[in-house]
Formats: sequence, C-alpha cells, structure tokens
Amino acid sequence: MAIALLDSVIDDLAAICGPDHVFSGRSAVFNRARVPAPFPAHRWEDHVPSAVVLPTSAQQVSEVVKLANEHRIPVVPRAGGTGLTDGAVPLRHGILVDVKLMNQILELDHANRTVTVGPGINMLKLNEELRKHGYIYPDNPASYPCSLVGGRIGTSGWSLIGARYGHTRDLVISFEIVLPTGEIIRVGDGGGPKVRKSSSGYQLKHLFMGHQGTLGIVTEATLELVPRPEAEFSMFFSYQDYMDAWRATGDLARSGVATLAGVVLFDEWKIKYLRRDDEAYIPQPDSVKGVVACACYGNADEVRVGAKRLLRIGKASGGGYMGDEISQGDWASRHDRYATPQHGRTRDGQVALMSWHCEDASIPYPELPVVREKWHAIAQSLCDRSDMFDDWGMFAYTNGAYKPWGDYLAEVDIGIWEMKWDDESWAAWVDAKRELARVSIEHGGSISACHGSCREGEVDLVPVELGGGFEVMKTIKRSLDPNNIMNPGKYLLDQAYEEE
Amino acid sequence: MLGFRLSAEKPPEAERVNDVVVSRFEHVYEIDPALMTEHVRQQDIPNWDFRRIVDSRWEHLAWMHDHFADSILSGEELLAEIEKED
Repeated sequence: MAIALLDSVIDDLAAICGPDHVFSGRSAVFNRARVPAPFPAHRWEDHVPSAVVLPTSAQQVSEVVKLANEHRIPVVPRAGGTGLTDGAVPLRHGILVDVKLMNQILELDHANRTVTVGPGINMLKLNEELRKHGYIYPDNPASYPCSLVGGRIGTSGWSLIGARYGHTRDLVISFEIVLPTGEIIRVGDGGGPKVRKSSSGYQLKHLFMGHQGTLGIVTEATLELVPRPEAEFSMFFSYQDYMDAWRATGDLARSGVATLAGVVLFDEWKIKYLRRDDEAYIPQPDSVKGVVACACYGNADEVRVGAKRLLRIGKASGGGYMGDEISQGDWASRHDRYATPQHGRTRDGQVALMSWHCEDASIPYPELPVVREKWHAIAQSLCDRSDMFDDWGMFAYTNGAYKPWGDYLAEVDIGIWEMKWDDESWAAWVDAKRELARVSIEHGGSISACHGSCREGEVDLVPVELGGGFEVMKTIKRSLDPNNIMNPGKYLLDQAYEEE
Repeated sequence: MLGFRLSAEKPPEAERVNDVVVSRFEHVYEIDPALMTEHVRQQDIPNWDFRRIVDSRWEHLAWMHDHFADSILSGEELLAEIEKED
C-alpha cells in the first residue's frame, strides 16, 4: 500500500496547487498506478502513488519538486498515462504530478508556423483547433485520441506518418522543463524557442526527449505546424509469400516519393490473427500470407503522382490490391487499439478477455525476416506455457523520419489475460520480454523504437545496448537529480547513486 | 406490443463463414457462439443495435479521414488510369 505522506506535506501541496488540485483518495491514486503496458495487476498496490497533484503552472510544478527534494519524496510525472513502457508507473509511491490541467493553447504564431501549448493537451483536440487556420500538428501515434504532448516528449514518441512529417523529436521545436531540483529551463536545438536548427552548445532537447520522467517535468512545448493535407491516399496489397511482401515493403520505402508517410508490413501470424478477428481480413483467402500498406499525405497533385508510382511498385512486386474499402477503412482505423476492448483465444479456441500488448524494437530492414521467426518462437513458448497468452502477430513499420528506408519499428503483438497474473506468470513474461530485447540487440537493433525500454526484463539489457553511453546516463542523472527523487527506480538509474 | 417489436428486431439465423466466424448480415461478422461459452458469453442484441454499431463504425472512419485531410484518393480509380496509360 502507498506510504502516507505527512499531513504537513499534504497541506504544503494544497498551498502550492490549491486544495482542489491535491488528491489522496483511493480512486485518484489507484487509477494513476498503471498504464496500458503489461502491468502486474496482482501487485497493483505496490504502484499506487501516495498523493496526486494537478498543477496549473510551471511555477507550481517547480514548488512541488522543491518540496519533494526537501522531504526526499519521489516524484512521478504523468500526462495521458497511455505509454507502452512504464514511465508513468510509480515504483516507489510518492507524489504523482498529473499535468492534464495544463492543456491550453498558449500561442499560435502564423509567421513562424508554430504553436505553443501546455503539456496536457491532446493532439486530436489540438488539431481540431488548428484546422480552423489550415494547419495540422502531424504527430500521429496509435494513441492519437488519448495521449498528450507531455507524454510524447517523455517517451520520444513515434508517429504513424513520421516518414513524411517526422516523429515527436522532430516536431517539438523546444520545450520548458522543470529540472529535478526545481529550476525551470527551456531546451531546444539552440536558444531561440522557435529555431529549428542551431549549432550553439549541446543539443539539450534530445537529452530530455524520451527521459521517461527521470530528468524533470515538461511544462510547455513549442510545436511545428504544417499545412493541413489536401489529400490522403492509402493502399493495401496482399501477398502469398511473406518474403515477397518483405521485398515489396523495401521497394516502396526506397521509392523516394516525397509524400510517402509510412509503409507497414503484416506477417503471416498477423494475417492469421486478423483473419480470425478483423472484419476486413475474415473474407481473405488462406493463400494470403502477408500484407503491405502505405499512406501518403500532402497537396492533392503531389499525392496523386506519388500514389501512382507506389501502385505501380505494388503491382510489379506481385501483390494484389485489396480494394478501396479495406485500403481506406483499415488506414482510418489505425488508432483503434486504444479505443476498443480486446479479446483473445485460449488454446482450445475459447474467447477470453485479453488486452493488447505490443513489444517494440528498432530492427534493420535486412534482419526483419529472421527476427520475426525468433520473436514468434518466444511468443509461442509463452502460449505453450499458459492460456494467458495469445500471439497476435507481428508488423514492421518504416522507422526513419523523411528517409524511411533503413530500420523499421517492429512489434510483436501479444494478447494477455491480465486478470490471471500471478508471480509465476509475471516472471515468465518478464523473461520473455528480456529475450525479445536480446534478439533485437543481437541483430543490430534497439530495444525500443517508440515505447521506451525501462520495463522489467528489457531494462536489464539497456547497459548492453548503450555500452559506455549508459555510464554517461548515470553521470547526468546524478548531476541533475542529486537526491534521486525524479521517478526513482527507472532505467536502472539507482546504480548512479550506489557508486557514490 | 413490446414482444412484437422485439421479435421484429430479432437477427436472422447465422451463416457459417469459416471455422471460427459466423455472419447474420452482409459484411458483418461474429465470433462463432460456440467459442463464447466458458469465459465470455455472447449477448443477444436486436437488429437496430447491430445497425447502430455498424453505422457508428462507418461514421467514425469517415470522421477520421476528414480529420486528417480534405479529400481521399481512390486506389481503384488510379489503377484504372494506370491500366489505360500502360
């Protein structure tokens, strides 16, 4: 159970944020204990914060952090709570800083094509406002309807249309952050908050991008605006052989089409799963063993030319166009995983309530076929062990911004019957997660393309992946957070203090 | 009166699509009810609720397209143009 804070601390938090913005009741803290990543639900109480605050300004955040330092209380930042690693999950209870009330549009700068917002704003709601002015903020994760800008920075998010417009690190020009000691600074490519390219000093924006709440709390961000697209094009091609689909994916990604926003490859396991449970794929014949999809955005004339080039590549690769209904409908449903209840199957085919868990990595294109086989072997070992797990297949998605022909975001989707968790099954899951990460590193990849890599299991291999870079991480952490109050326990960073 | 209205909204008998899927309406699929007997039970829902769910789905997809761009290009139409050009 959460460690209760002193009444005097609660009073101080109320004085800082206002009494209506401090919560310690059961529903307030239990509902902020987990995120959609696999979570040890049987040990829920280990992760509840002691109190929740909802500040409305950077100054309030700063004062909360200074108070936490004074009392050595852990602080955990939280935005949408939609992350697929556990950055927003408290490991040591403490004060959870929920930034949802900091959701204002602070400035729309037409001349510089920027919008400055609070970290609690959601991209979908932001774009509803921007549409009135002919703009879009094109950060488009699967969690688009529910994730928030602050969390996108905390995870260094990945966008489904990143091949065209860039990912979160490319789209956030600068941001304000409260450091673990309470100082408020602004980081960007250089000093100017709206400067896209600078060579002045260290590139601090990237240091704080993807910090998973271990280096501070973002309180404001200046974002890139692009013209709202005149046209959208999406196409889905089916293949009778995975390797043909893999080759077609590479051909499309290397096409050089400027409006290309992304290419995605579904493997045989994914098609098998979709043929069981997805309206678009149920009618597909058994001969379909792979599907390749891509999408374009931009000016109508440019999208039209690019789309024709991509369609020609699809035809030449031996694929079959799956029709407008699937091509347009499946693309429009790209965010559905966050919005729909999921179910899986036990070994005897019975339906059970399972939630979706995608395990991600960055994998070089040539390695995708063999990584796919190794990952499914790991997933199968889980399924053989227990009815709790169901292999929902794998996809690979162009990962690079603007030049999408190198590495791919690869994910294996695993359904988990989370109501069944116990210590034994959780340990088996953590072992499997570690093995998935090991395969990624062995094949020249990274443990994570977009979720982060601080969860149990995978985090053990972060020092292996980063090598000497992990030593630098520890030095930075200890320097910026001398009392280890900012999201302690994450990324093995307690080691930074053990060595003192 | 109520019984009459409910019976009028009773879905038609299911037709088998494959080993694990059945269908009662064109392009609307259901898990085989035999696979929902142990851990999760199927609910009986009237025709109007089927229609509501399907219509809501299409409405959502149309909204998502419109949210991101002013227009959608058709692959079928572009492929037809390519056929003529080639």
